[in-house]
Amino acid sequence: MRKFPSFLFIVLLYVLMFFYTTTKAPAIPPHPGARPLKVAVVVPASSTDQGWNQMGVDGLRELKDKWHLTIEVAENQGYGDIKPVLRDLARKGFDLIIAHASGYQTVTPEVAVERDVRVAVVENPAAVRPGLVSNYEGEAQKGAYLAGVLAAKMTRTNVVGCVTSAEVPDWNRMTVGFMEGLHSINPKINFLYNVIGEASYEDAIGGKRNTEAQIAAGADVIFGMGDGASFGIMKACEENRAKDGGKVWFIDVIGDKTGIDRKQILLASVLWNFDVVYEMMLIDIYSDRFGDDYRQTLENGGIELAVYKEIPSVARAAMKQAEEGIKNGRIKVSNIADTREMRSYMRRLFK
Amino acid sequence: MNSIFSEPFFTVLFGGTLTASTPIILAAIGEDFVESGGILNLGLEGMMLLGAFTAFIAALITENVYIGLLSGMAAGVVLGLLFGYLVIYLKINQIVAGLGIGLFAIGITSLLFRILFGAEFPVIPDITDKTAIPLLSKIPYASSIFNQHLITYISWILLPIAWWVLYKTSFGLNVRAVGENPAAADVHGVNVYRTRYLTLLFEGVLAGLGGAFLSICDLSFFVFHMTQGRGFIAIAVVMLAKWNPAGIFYGAFLFGICHSLTYGLQILGLDVPREFILMLPYVAVIALLCILARNTRFPAAFCNPYERE
Repeated sequence: MRKFPSFLFIVLLYVLMFFYTTTKAPAIPPHPGARPLKVAVVVPASSTDQGWNQMGVDGLRELKDKWHLTIEVAENQGYGDIKPVLRDLARKGFDLIIAHASGYQTVTPEVAVERDVRVAVVENPAAVRPGLVSNYEGEAQKGAYLAGVLAAKMTRTNVVGCVTSAEVPDWNRMTVGFMEGLHSINPKINFLYNVIGEASYEDAIGGKRNTEAQIAAGADVIFGMGDGASFGIMKACEENRAKDGGKVWFIDVIGDKTGIDRKQILLASVLWNFDVVYEMMLIDIYSDRFGDDYRQTLENGGIELAVYKEIPSVARAAMKQAEEGIKNGRIKVSNIADTREMRSYMRRLFK
Repeated sequence: MNSIFSEPFFTVLFGGTLTASTPIILAAIGEDFVESGGILNLGLEGMMLLGAFTAFIAALITENVYIGLLSGMAAGVVLGLLFGYLVIYLKINQIVAGLGIGLFAIGITSLLFRILFGAEFPVIPDITDKTAIPLLSKIPYASSIFNQHLITYISWILLPIAWWVLYKTSFGLNVRAVGENPAAADVHGVNVYRTRYLTLLFEGVLAGLGGAFLSICDLSFFVFHMTQGRGFIAIAVVMLAKWNPAGIFYGAFLFGICHSLTYGLQILGLDVPREFILMLPYVAVIALLCILARNTRFPAAFCNPYERE
């Protein structure tokens, strides 16, 4: 009889342990190498640019604790030859190297083959190789479509501008999505489009000048894609008034600049959450299925339009309707990455 | 289309051109003196960048535009003297030393910015404003020409002063003599080393001011490598102007207006490939260099280190 409390205690302990182990998130399976994964991310510019580079690095940092990762950030690597950097990371035994720039999409798969190291590239689905090379890209055109709907509803002058630091596939897709969103609300809208330079990602002054010119030409909503250059675009929106004397709204991409929005002109941002695709890659490494084409979408949360200001209910309703339309397939947003095709589409859309 | 020919559009076009020309004019004046003295400083870009960074930090801390500008100038002077030590005292190849200084500035500003601010992006509160010249700033279509930052007006005033110093004073004569024949100048009692150091010091002040203008007046924040090649453009402008400060304004203005045209032509929506439009400023400078600088005679001792016998 005296043994009964002990028995009860053991049963209770067992039941508690059962519930603990079943209700807790499943433990990460042990890596074949019996150690946490080592993941490196290589970015061309600063990891504090509140844009492409920072979001790419932050996405990995977000997964660090959850996946017990050892991470390394190689930033400010520019757009030149990054093979030595990739080889060095391969030599250090990284399990995955994320080459976070479209400019790295060609050389990175070469190093992957040469050093037998897993890599992830941007916007090069043709390079995908089972076990070795993965590709990731965002369907940001859908987020940009919503931004276009918002811009069309918010403009008072019926002139909307778009300033971009380069004409790369991601930026082109977003331009097309933005234009289609605008056009869906008001086909008569006057759309202005400026490119700062060939690869002027960090040209903040160029961004400012181009935006000032668009504002002078009547634009009161600016959609800016630029990394470091977007700070200049934002500055121009802060310093200048629209033709009617009101605010010039700024719609950003990739990152969240609310922390520096002193003049309250940041209307929204098409956010890119890279942790979504990185996590897919990690899962595939553990399940030995690495080497795939991953997409950030509105549906999986990889892309979202964050609206930072109170907007009229008609604008909110139009955005909601558009989002539902995209998700249920009623609205098809064009996926145009090629610059020439994008420009010709622009001419057709806004004759 | 109507908006393209509107007054606000022209105002922005001209105003932007002059603002964009300011750091180039300042840096080019300094480089003019240095090159006239026989030294090529490819580190000009780095001097501007360090000036931009230091001015930004000082202005952020003190919220005082003048302390910011002075700090930028001081940073330019430090790099100028370092460059002088490398090429005048140690006689290191000027091209290599200049490129090294430029890369050093890119690296050190990135590193220090990261150490100081981490993932933050600080912005200087509004401490600068444009200065409108009474009456002139009311002229239609040209109002923005006379509504500029104080530094822009200073850069215009500096141009004739620089010409006067270089061509009408004994110091200017010494500089040109050192650039032409340092041995002969030395024989006539001109201290070649001191003269060259002084030109670099002067260049440091102006390049640092040009960089400070970018980060404090034009933008009010610092971004990595924000000079974006303006130092190199200044060097091209000096050669375009054939080392005459009077020509620097035209060179810088030409580059600025071509840049502004790229914005305007894009908004105009011309059915021309954008690559052609974006190339315009560089094509114009190269074309003018081909035309104007064909028979240019460099200072005879250009790029040659001087060793006193």
